[in-house]
Amino acid sequence: MPDTSIKDFEAAIAELESIVKKLEEGDLALEQSLELYERGVKLSRFCHSRLEEAERRIEVLNERGELKPAPASLGSDAPER
Amino acid sequence: MSDLFDLPFEEERDEAEQSAVVSQQPDDGRRTTEPAVVKQQPDDSRPPTVRKIYSVTELTVRVRDLLEEQFFEIWVEGELSNCKVWNTGHLYFTLKDSSSQLRGFMFRSALRYLRFKPADGLRVIARGKLSVYEPKGEYQFVCEHLEPHGLGARQLAFDQLKKRLQQEGLFDAARKRPLPALPRKIGIVTSLDGAALRDIIKVLRRRYANAHLVISPARVQGEDAAPEIARSLRQIARVPGVDVVIVGRGGGSLEDLWAFNEESVARAIARVPVPVIAAVGHETDVTIADFVADVRAPTPSAAAELVVAAKMEFCERIDRLRDRLSAAAGGQLQRLSRRIHVAASRPAFGGFPTRLAMRGRQTAELSHGLARLMRAGIAARERRYQQLERQLTTFDPSRRLGGLRARLVGADGRLTVTARRRQDGARSQLQLVTGRLESLSPLAVLGRGYAVAWNDDKSRVLRDASAVAPGDTVIVTLASGELDCEVRSTSGSTQDTGRVPRK
Repeated sequence: MPDTSIKDFEAAIAELESIVKKLEEGDLALEQSLELYERGVKLSRFCHSRLEEAERRIEVLNERGELKPAPASLGSDAPER
Repeated sequence: MSDLFDLPFEEERDEAEQSAVVSQQPDDGRRTTEPAVVKQQPDDSRPPTVRKIYSVTELTVRVRDLLEEQFFEIWVEGELSNCKVWNTGHLYFTLKDSSSQLRGFMFRSALRYLRFKPADGLRVIARGKLSVYEPKGEYQFVCEHLEPHGLGARQLAFDQLKKRLQQEGLFDAARKRPLPALPRKIGIVTSLDGAALRDIIKVLRRRYANAHLVISPARVQGEDAAPEIARSLRQIARVPGVDVVIVGRGGGSLEDLWAFNEESVARAIARVPVPVIAAVGHETDVTIADFVADVRAPTPSAAAELVVAAKMEFCERIDRLRDRLSAAAGGQLQRLSRRIHVAASRPAFGGFPTRLAMRGRQTAELSHGLARLMRAGIAARERRYQQLERQLTTFDPSRRLGGLRARLVGADGRLTVTARRRQDGARSQLQLVTGRLESLSPLAVLGRGYAVAWNDDKSRVLRDASAVAPGDTVIVTLASGELDCEVRSTSGSTQDTGRVPRK
């Protein structure tokens, strides 16, 4: 669910913080607070998706600076069960 | 030391010289016994013909030859003082102990090989030879090698490098960068077959299942270790996406860890553009690498834990924000409901049933609209949430990390529950408002014994007796039920114009 309006998670969390603050301060129109809420949910989803995003992988740099998969002995593709 | 004086003076000796020597060396026990020997051969007993007279230079050369011959490779221990490097690059110094001094110097070529910088006050062991500086008639020590006594060359090298880098500001707190919350890739510089790497992988596998590791192998022990570590650090710094680097090795002797005290490693760490965690497995000894790194971990496992902790902290921050978001959004809705409530209970509504009814309708419409909006808004968000959650669940769950997933699902669940609770709250608020509106409805007065009279088809409420004539049918609404009545007579009409014509 890529959302181009969110730059990176640092930006996302900063925006989320400001939204929460705005909502907590209160006195917004109904539509506006619903919009903010929706945006906030989207941002927190984005942050969580970033947590899951990376793929478990182990690579080793060789002498020419190229990335190679790690030997199986290092458990590069054996996630814990 | 006494040998040194014995030799040059043994052949040419007279009382004056001898006493001069004695007076210079009052502490030397051997020296004081020698005048007695001399007295056995008084001057006048010596034939003048055997008297050999040296020129100063001849004597000096002779002395020099003897000294150099006898002391061509000696070790001497003492404290350095008056150290000075001249602009020729040679080092001049004095070696001393509690009662004697020895002048010495060291050629620039030999000085280059020292691991430490000679400084006043250092106790050293020096290797070299004795010679004589002829123009001044002074003997001196030509030093070929120096090593610190006591702490050892390495410790001294450590102290000196530490001081130097500190002065350059490489250890400054201002240089320390915080660890990233979510490193795209985690760089590791260590030996491929060391325990350190296995430990790091073990921790990350358990607590950071989707970590992406990039290992830049380096020997971490022995002669080549320092240049290899430095090179690996430079290499890993160039891999895109590496947001944090762990450099280290498992525990070992101070000797084993030495590479992490080398300047090349320290400078390579300082130049890595992302935060570096030093993890040299030794709790007690702090290496130079530990000082330069952004973060110091006592062991490689601990370094991995630090990376995990940064991520966990980030997770918690999101969760907290999400809870606050739900609470704040719910609070907003409640505040809006309350405003409607307050508007509806204004005393202005009391005396004017019609206006009240009208306002009531407006209020009801408003309330209805709000409830609809809230329901729609929250339901849509819930649907979206559930959909996302389904997607998440179906997306290769075997590769997902159990703990984190549970947290995520838990957080989603909490959010939904919170949202629902808020919705329920708003709904009961609305019921309250509606109840209040009903109690103020004109129909509610029927409960107090009033009745409403209608014309026969209930199209109009009767307000004036002249609106009906005897014989007409009138419907009367009571609090409970209706009466179908016939008018027998009318009276007390305010209207004089008589009956309103009826069909």
